[in-house]
Amino acid sequence: MVAHSRASLRIDRLRALNLPRAAQVAVDDRGRPTTVDDTTVEEVLETWRIDDEWWREPLVRRYVEVVLAGGAHIVLFEDLQHGAWFAQMP
Amino acid sequence: MRSLTSEHAVCLWVPLFPLRCEERRHPELVHIPTALLAPTDTRRLWLVSASARRAGVRAGMTVSQAIGLCPALTLREPDPVHYDEAFTQLLLALETVSPVIEPAELGRVFVGVDGLERLHGGPERQLDLIARTVGGGEWSSGTRHVRLGWARGKFLAWVAAARARPGAPLVIRDEDGAAFLRHQPVAVLPIDGSTHRRLRQLGLGTLADVAGLPEPAIVSQFGREGRRAWQLARGLVSEPVTGRERPEPIGAGFDFPAPIADRSMLAHAIDKLLERALAHPRRTGWRVQVVRVRADLEHGSSWMAAATLKDPSADRARIALPLRARLDASPPGGAVEHLEVEFVSFAPGTGELQLFARDAESAARSGRHRALTAAAGEIRTRFRRSRLFHVVEVQPWSRIPERRYALIDFEP
Repeated sequence: MVAHSRASLRIDRLRALNLPRAAQVAVDDRGRPTTVDDTTVEEVLETWRIDDEWWREPLVRRYVEVVLAGGAHIVLFEDLQHGAWFAQMP
Repeated sequence: MRSLTSEHAVCLWVPLFPLRCEERRHPELVHIPTALLAPTDTRRLWLVSASARRAGVRAGMTVSQAIGLCPALTLREPDPVHYDEAFTQLLLALETVSPVIEPAELGRVFVGVDGLERLHGGPERQLDLIARTVGGGEWSSGTRHVRLGWARGKFLAWVAAARARPGAPLVIRDEDGAAFLRHQPVAVLPIDGSTHRRLRQLGLGTLADVAGLPEPAIVSQFGREGRRAWQLARGLVSEPVTGRERPEPIGAGFDFPAPIADRSMLAHAIDKLLERALAHPRRTGWRVQVVRVRADLEHGSSWMAAATLKDPSADRARIALPLRARLDASPPGGAVEHLEVEFVSFAPGTGELQLFARDAESAARSGRHRALTAAAGEIRTRFRRSRLFHVVEVQPWSRIPERRYALIDFEP
């Protein structure tokens, strides 16, 4: 991380980091990811679900943290409202 | 070193001094909720402005908690070197009023006023003079936050300053001291937090409550600290302001085995001599204000250069800078046989401050910041806009990964 400057830090100047990107995910009959963008999932580390922000634009997501073939470590989530999958860094 | 003392004291207090320094540099901050990040942990808040407090933001909160409460909050990283320099300027201004100056902490200083009646008149006139002295200099925009208290002894002067309103100094005459103290809350006692808490739990809310107890009872409960609190509450202790005489000039010299005319070698020798002079034990707690370099040249002539630092410093590079400029502008007229550096005048330094005690650390921070500023400037020139960002924690505990961290433009 770069050292903090003395510049003013305003919430409107913040840019989100680690935004999710759309991913092609295949799942098995139990809903566990088997491939991500044609790369095999080696191991599923953790799963969790989020139902949040129901008062504005609801977030309903099922997260799966996986290790891919080759050792890459990513987080996937399924948008349960729209059915799409996304990937991002843990 | 001989000490100068004064029974009667003026306490000058600028609450939230670092925040006031930032507001002086950036006037736009006065009207918006602002907080300074902690010097040792930039994830937490150190000082919070009044408007941020009204929004529920408190010192010690994490940045993410604070932004959650007050999205418009402006955060600034602390600049200890700047606050220290501003405080030094304040002390220098006060030294024109009295030679007895005792800094207590950043933004709080005691001025000894014994003997000033003949020069300036009674307490009110002395306070007026101090207010005008402080207000006339660079610190003028901060005077609306200055609180002043006049009393016998440092404790009473401090309580008076704490009770005074900005622009309305409080004078506590000797005969009124005990009565004034009786109504003050126990929070004014200089004791640790747990003792304060225990006093409150025992139902002791004011100094009159403490003073009304028998001494053995409070000593048996609180030990030595309790005795001191009891004595202060009864007005039995009156600690004088203790100033210090400025040190005698400090010098360091060097005889060259063979006369030297090369300017870079002379500059290097000046650096080494500055280091030696800065390490002198007499220099501890003082910053250099005036520095002089003298050289004995071959054939019996001599050369001299002097520099007065606008911001007194204990940092070798800062002191060397004007000397190098003079060396380049008007170098010695011959080869140098003997070189001597002398610190002629001093200003109170960080050694006396409780908060930022190490000059070297402050200087290192300042140096790093200068280097970053230069690098960022080059990048902006090359790419026409800043390509530097830094990562800040927003909600590091969040189960939603994109909420944990964010990027912000790096603008030193």
